[in-house]
Amino acid sequence: MEELSCCKEILTEHEKRVEKGIGQLSPRPRINGFLTNFRDQVPRIDIQRAVLFTESMKQTEAYPMNIRKAKALQHIFNNIDIIIQDNELIVGTCGGAGRHAILFPELRGPWLEKALRGVQKGNAFRISDEDLQTVVEKVIPYWKGNSAHERYLAMLPSETKEFIYGDGDWGSAGLLQDNANINATLNWAGNYKKVINRGLLDIKREMEERLSQVPNNDYTKMAFLQAAIMVCDGLMDYAKRYATKAREMASIETDPKRKAELEVIAQNCEWVPAHPARNFWEAMQCQWFVQTAYKLEQPTVGVISLGRFDQYMYPTFIKDLKAGVIDEERALELMECMWFKIASYVPFNVTATNNYFEGYCHFEQTVLGGQTREGKDATNELTYLVLRSKKEFPLHYPDLSVRLHSGTPNSLLHAVVDLIKQGTGFPKLLNDEEIIPQAIFNGASIQDARDYSPCACTEVRMLDLDTYMAVGGNLNLPAALEMALNEGVVTIDGQKKKLMTPSIKSADIKTFDDLLKNFTEAWDLFIQHFYKRQAALEISNAACLAAPFMSMLNDACVEALTDIHQPINNHGISKDSGALSVIGFGTLVESLAAIKKLVFEDKRFTLDELKDALKANFEGYEPIRQMLLNAPQYGNNDDYADEVARQTDEIICEVMQRYRTPNGPQNFKHVPVTTHIAMGRRMGATPNGRKAGESLSEGISPSQGRDSEGPLATLLSIDKVKSRVYNNNFSRLLNIKLNPQVVAGEKGTHDLMAFIRSFVDLKLWHLQFNIINKETLIKAQKNPDKYRNLIVRVAGYSAYFTDLSPDLQNEIISRTEHQVV
Amino acid sequence: MLKEITGRIFNIQKYSVHDGPGIRDVVFMKGCPLKCIWCSNPESQSSDLQIAYNITKCIGVNSCGHCIKACTFHALSVSEDKIVLDRRNCVNCNKCVDICCSKALHIFGKDMTIDEVFQKTQNQAGAWRSNGGITVSGGEPLLQADFVAALLKEYRNIGVHTAIETTGFVHWEKLKQVAQWCNLIHFDVKMLDAQKHRKYTGVDNIIILENLKKLSAGFPNVNIIVRTPVIPDINDQECDITEIAEYLKTLPNLYDYELLPYHGYGRSKYEQLEMAYELKGVASLEKSSIYDLNQCVREMLDLPRKTYAGHL
Repeated sequence: MEELSCCKEILTEHEKRVEKGIGQLSPRPRINGFLTNFRDQVPRIDIQRAVLFTESMKQTEAYPMNIRKAKALQHIFNNIDIIIQDNELIVGTCGGAGRHAILFPELRGPWLEKALRGVQKGNAFRISDEDLQTVVEKVIPYWKGNSAHERYLAMLPSETKEFIYGDGDWGSAGLLQDNANINATLNWAGNYKKVINRGLLDIKREMEERLSQVPNNDYTKMAFLQAAIMVCDGLMDYAKRYATKAREMASIETDPKRKAELEVIAQNCEWVPAHPARNFWEAMQCQWFVQTAYKLEQPTVGVISLGRFDQYMYPTFIKDLKAGVIDEERALELMECMWFKIASYVPFNVTATNNYFEGYCHFEQTVLGGQTREGKDATNELTYLVLRSKKEFPLHYPDLSVRLHSGTPNSLLHAVVDLIKQGTGFPKLLNDEEIIPQAIFNGASIQDARDYSPCACTEVRMLDLDTYMAVGGNLNLPAALEMALNEGVVTIDGQKKKLMTPSIKSADIKTFDDLLKNFTEAWDLFIQHFYKRQAALEISNAACLAAPFMSMLNDACVEALTDIHQPINNHGISKDSGALSVIGFGTLVESLAAIKKLVFEDKRFTLDELKDALKANFEGYEPIRQMLLNAPQYGNNDDYADEVARQTDEIICEVMQRYRTPNGPQNFKHVPVTTHIAMGRRMGATPNGRKAGESLSEGISPSQGRDSEGPLATLLSIDKVKSRVYNNNFSRLLNIKLNPQVVAGEKGTHDLMAFIRSFVDLKLWHLQFNIINKETLIKAQKNPDKYRNLIVRVAGYSAYFTDLSPDLQNEIISRTEHQVV
Repeated sequence: MLKEITGRIFNIQKYSVHDGPGIRDVVFMKGCPLKCIWCSNPESQSSDLQIAYNITKCIGVNSCGHCIKACTFHALSVSEDKIVLDRRNCVNCNKCVDICCSKALHIFGKDMTIDEVFQKTQNQAGAWRSNGGITVSGGEPLLQADFVAALLKEYRNIGVHTAIETTGFVHWEKLKQVAQWCNLIHFDVKMLDAQKHRKYTGVDNIIILENLKKLSAGFPNVNIIVRTPVIPDINDQECDITEIAEYLKTLPNLYDYELLPYHGYGRSKYEQLEMAYELKGVASLEKSSIYDLNQCVREMLDLPRKTYAGHL
């Protein structure tokens, strides 16, 4: 996989400059010092976690899984290297100094050797021969036959396994990209507030009290509580080891300023996370310890998120600020120290494609704003300060989002737009007006719903209510259309496979309804396989995984005294904003609208001619391709195309709710990560005029360049697409490209604020902006088909960029820089 | 019936931000009494529907050629795999346009009813939450005053901000008819020198200047923004602009005065229509110098200094 597309183009020019160390970095010198060490570092694979974890697991086979995990976590806490790096104010690391990744052999242990040998050949990560040898000898053998992924594969029905993996058990067959056991659970945010406010001693006391009340014979519940107590002790011991280390270092430190800092660090680590944080620095340290524990316990997709940072950090922040203990600069410095800690931890995913995420993408989503549990606007001084930090120092970690709602103050929206205009892609926007009702549909109270935390891309969590989510997969929608048109045959990498027989033979498809009928049947097959794998994953993960730390901090688990990986009946909610992601929605609906109009209504060509054109990848059929490109296009507030899209949404939703897993019915989402690129690469031409190998459409967006009526029309289309018949499809990822001309100056700021208000009013889920830069225009010049939507915006003038002659295009390119601010 | 009136429109542009406050839809009306040599919308000048050919969109006669077969009047011929349109033979039957797969052959101009225009734009009401609206531009919108007045009235009735962009070269009655439904009028004053005006725009400026005066006196509630397109070697000297500013000083009501730096982005459209572009080779103006000039005359006119809105 390459970079993750929901944060696509996250490395803007500005950020690249920062990474290369050119120009002003951060107004804070301490932070620049970190950057010097950081920027040229290839992340190192640290094997401590894998080795310690395996050592412990070997000793504990007689125990219940949550006790085993708790003991293993404790073993790690007590033995992992304690490292305090130069000038750090927040301490703690999952795997030594510098940029590092750690390993989770319990998931895909047997595949690790291949992945790590692959690493040595590439240059995205590094691991020494010695460390690799240790993993091969001490770690992998234990997991052979014992890993979560093997158990999952063993459970999969053979036809489902073939549908997903083809002949192997490593790569994807291109129809359903399976993320099983790459991570242990879906996206999650830490429940930091609980530890910052109560301290682990108090939580431990509660667990002990509960333990005393468990009937003697309920060993499962007792195990849950015993495990919780162990992880509390483990993390508190880990903090004490840091306190000792800081004292040692302070005693020999010659620089008096650093000596004083180390002494405070020692005090902090003596106090938190055992006790409630008394000041902002302690709260930050506590947050990082908790984050570290989550990271060491198990991998979550996108890495554990920060949650509502401006809410749970606010009490200590404002207290210190008012008392003069800190000023804004000091708060920024502490926060940026944490951003560096976050940037230093790089997830290593054992996947089929190159075995890693090349862009090191991980999104510890940090959310600002939104509403309080009582429904009041939650914006505070810290909200603005975090935005300021991102503006002054655009490191791409952590990920940043802002929750918006109808009562979001203009001042916050103004600050948000100000940051968007920097062109870094931050922040992304999430809309309370759609997300809160969806959480209520899922079964949350309105108070809990208002307290949701976005995680990773566009997913949301209610931290004390949501429970286990088996990691889902991505389904290839255009492949289902190909099957509908071709007697159930699909072509991936040029290989044909017949997977089903639709009820209408392709020669007998006479109407658009015929085609939809076949599509529905093909889609049903995809969904059946999805549910089969999802059920297998829920059951197999419940058997081999446990997360005592995460469970202890989740009220639903504590109420049920059940680990988060187990089915938790009557407590919590085990469906979030979607485990299944549908890929290529735009590609599909553009194809359907074009076929409906050109084949069935206008009869410009026949279905057979279309299929010939697709088979030939449009070679010799350019007129057909042009007609397809010029058919009514979804995303332009065009009623014809949007109605086709709405019908399609209804079919996808309806089929989806025919089935269920042991945990219940599943929701789905439009969040592609990079799958739309990977799947597109393997697919032939599609009836929307897309050529073989080109990317499928992304998220809920139309295909690149098809939305030629401006961004408001796109919002209106997406509003019209929602069929609203079922309640299982909400999370729609939307990236919008903005021309710098339309956001220039204070007028541009106000216009963009109005645009975002429209997004909130229309109750759409997610929105993120990319500002078009010079490079985009150069690409448009070279590849006009993909950039048909670029409008040249000058007073009283109308034209598209790609319609201009090359010299005029060059003129505009040369004028595009520095237009935003 | 009012609803039956149609307007001849050559484009509706969504999400415009340089033609009035907020995010706007701009309706471009076809037909103009002026023939400014710097015109960036040459398709706006003729009131007729015009076939145009965008050579960059055409995929070539070898792989397509449907238009040649469709044309029974020998108006199309082939040159280097692309087509050449002979307008003398063309009867505007549009068969070639209908069959063109890539929309390389297309028509500038479409007759639309008020309802049609309203439908195409009014559902963007979400954007009008913060001061956006509708702007009718051209061409010269006042050549179709009945249509424009009726359209703007519809918008005013639902509380949407309305604006027009006019050359001012129309009968006062027409201007009056439309102005009553406008919140804002962008009024072009290209140059004060009558002879020069005639030379470069094809018409006299006496009516224009009279209309501006009447408008300013008669419609104190309408915001009037006078605009001058600044064209190299034609009216880009400081004296050209201060001369206009001196005139503007005499107006009882002036909301703003803006300078629009010349750009040559219309050139491609001249080629599509096989029209001659007389300013070929003239470079677009750097907006920074125009901005300074604008600030200077704004001071003369006692207008507030403006934050840089980023006009090209």
